[in-house]
Amino acid sequence: MFEARLIQGSVLKKMIDAIKDIVTDINLDCSSTGISVQAMDSGHVCLVLIELGSDGFEPYRCDRNITLGLGLKALSVVVRCANNDDSITIKAQEGTDNINFVFESPNGEKTSQFEIKLMDIDSEHLGIPDTEYDSVVKMPSHEFQRICRDMSQLGDSIVVACTKDGIQFSASGDMGSGKINLRQSSLVDKEEDQINIELNDPVHLTFALRYLNYFTKATPLSPTVTLSLKAESPLCVTYPIGDFGSMKFFLAPKIDDEDTAAATQE
Amino acid sequence: MGIHGLSKLLGDYAPSSIKEHEYKSYFGRKIAIDASMSLYQFLIAVRQDGQVLMTESGETTSHLMGFFYRTIRMVDNGIKPVYVFDGKPPTMKSGELAKRADRRAEAQKELLKAEEQGDIQEVEKFQKRLVKVTPEHVSEAKKLLSLMGIPYVEAPCEAEAQCAALTKAGKVYATATEDMDALTFGSSILVRNLTASEARKLPVREINLSKALTELDMDQSQFIDLCILLGCDYCDSIKGIGPVNAMKLLRQHGNIEKILKGLSGKKYQIPENWPFEEARRLFVEPDVSPADDIELKWGNPDEEGIVKFLVEEKGFSEDRIRNGVKKLLKSKQGSTQGRLDSFFKAAPSPKAGIKRKASDSKGPLKKKVNKSK
Repeated sequence: MFEARLIQGSVLKKMIDAIKDIVTDINLDCSSTGISVQAMDSGHVCLVLIELGSDGFEPYRCDRNITLGLGLKALSVVVRCANNDDSITIKAQEGTDNINFVFESPNGEKTSQFEIKLMDIDSEHLGIPDTEYDSVVKMPSHEFQRICRDMSQLGDSIVVACTKDGIQFSASGDMGSGKINLRQSSLVDKEEDQINIELNDPVHLTFALRYLNYFTKATPLSPTVTLSLKAESPLCVTYPIGDFGSMKFFLAPKIDDEDTAAATQE
Repeated sequence: MGIHGLSKLLGDYAPSSIKEHEYKSYFGRKIAIDASMSLYQFLIAVRQDGQVLMTESGETTSHLMGFFYRTIRMVDNGIKPVYVFDGKPPTMKSGELAKRADRRAEAQKELLKAEEQGDIQEVEKFQKRLVKVTPEHVSEAKKLLSLMGIPYVEAPCEAEAQCAALTKAGKVYATATEDMDALTFGSSILVRNLTASEARKLPVREINLSKALTELDMDQSQFIDLCILLGCDYCDSIKGIGPVNAMKLLRQHGNIEKILKGLSGKKYQIPENWPFEEARRLFVEPDVSPADDIELKWGNPDEEGIVKFLVEEKGFSEDRIRNGVKKLLKSKQGSTQGRLDSFFKAAPSPKAGIKRKASDSKGPLKKKVNKSK
């Protein structure tokens, strides 16, 4: 038996909105400590990792580890039927092929129930190593969203450079080029408006904006976002979910190609 | 062509080895393409009103059209193609080639008949069967590829075998052909439909050899024996033994020698002096150039050269050709998107918990795998 009730059902809606353009099916891996989801896009360029601790649910019950495979299309249809202030309960019985969703309005006057058929999804799991990042930048999530959106008007890729002076985003294309610099700020009143840069080593990486614009669909989940960068490694974009979980996106960098580079030099 | 009924057999017995992917998810991959297969495909499929494309002087240009645009489509999607051309067919193939010549003669007759009756559809059908790749087609294709900066390899013998050697050595990610014997030659990954027309919107079908072997519970040598039993290009198969029987016999006996012993005195007609051993040897040690000696380089396209060849000599539209070359040039700029697989290693899936039974009658929805041929 698996049962989990999320008081703020809107969180689930936002999570699904954030990933539905990247992946088509997901496996919910449920254990006694919480729910986790790992999914990749078809080209294996980016990875979504959702981790929700059991303490975010009331009640939470998971007798045995269980994997629930869901099609995102069905899931988003069902979740869209919930009101923003509804609570959402996810239930699955052992041995059945369905998952149940129950939405309850705060005053308890309205309850709705939905059932989705489970799927067998053979997903490939990647082991994500614990990484010591060269630079970790925390900033307001809407600011990051704005930067990605603006830069994608100029070009397909964004160059992210972290130095002791701050973090610089730049893009260029046929039309021209642009740069945005952000400096560490500590004098802002609200903590969530702060920009905080932890720098061990300067980094300089290029990423495809297409994917970053998918990631920033998670902006409504959290006022802040953390970018973790390491030379020649995937970027990790983290949106905390309350104090019980997080949604992380990993994105492989763009790399210079040896064969092509060698041929061009000739 | 290829191995008789292998793709259906894999669909039935090893469904997890077949996956469909979007065309665009192959960006950054190097892929060895069976050029001889593509030549036939283009000559058959690239047509207008049922006729091959021709210059004013009557030279065929369908193959150039195919090579030009389908290569651009790949390059535009970030794929790095390398074409592999057939060399001399192995002597073992003479039987199969004779059969094909017979079929060609048959088609010729049918064509005449259809022409007499004025049945346009039939005429077209048999014309397509009579398509033959000439040395000129091959050399023109090679010329075009060099101008485009796309590498090609001349195989000493069968192109599929050479592709397989490149794939096995990790020089390329996969072999692209419709010919299933690329698997028998040991291509770790085979992709189909890669050179198909964009308009048909076919997803690329990827077949993973090692997954197939695991699921069939066979090793490569047993797999080769299975392919020989199914029917390959190099020798006849045993009449009366189809895919189901072949699987059963191989699982029971392990190899063809033992199967033959077990079959003696039974109703099956084993071809006289059946050369299965030689066929097997061809699959195990095909005549290929060592992959390590082959250097693959993707160069810059020679715009003026392409225009001179295709526009001036072959009568293509200059605007379209220049546009195509622009796409080739564009893909040369900038860096390639990396893949997470090269940074993070695959981990065992945490499905250690309850594995729901797939055999359950009310089983969960399976993701659809198209089992059509």
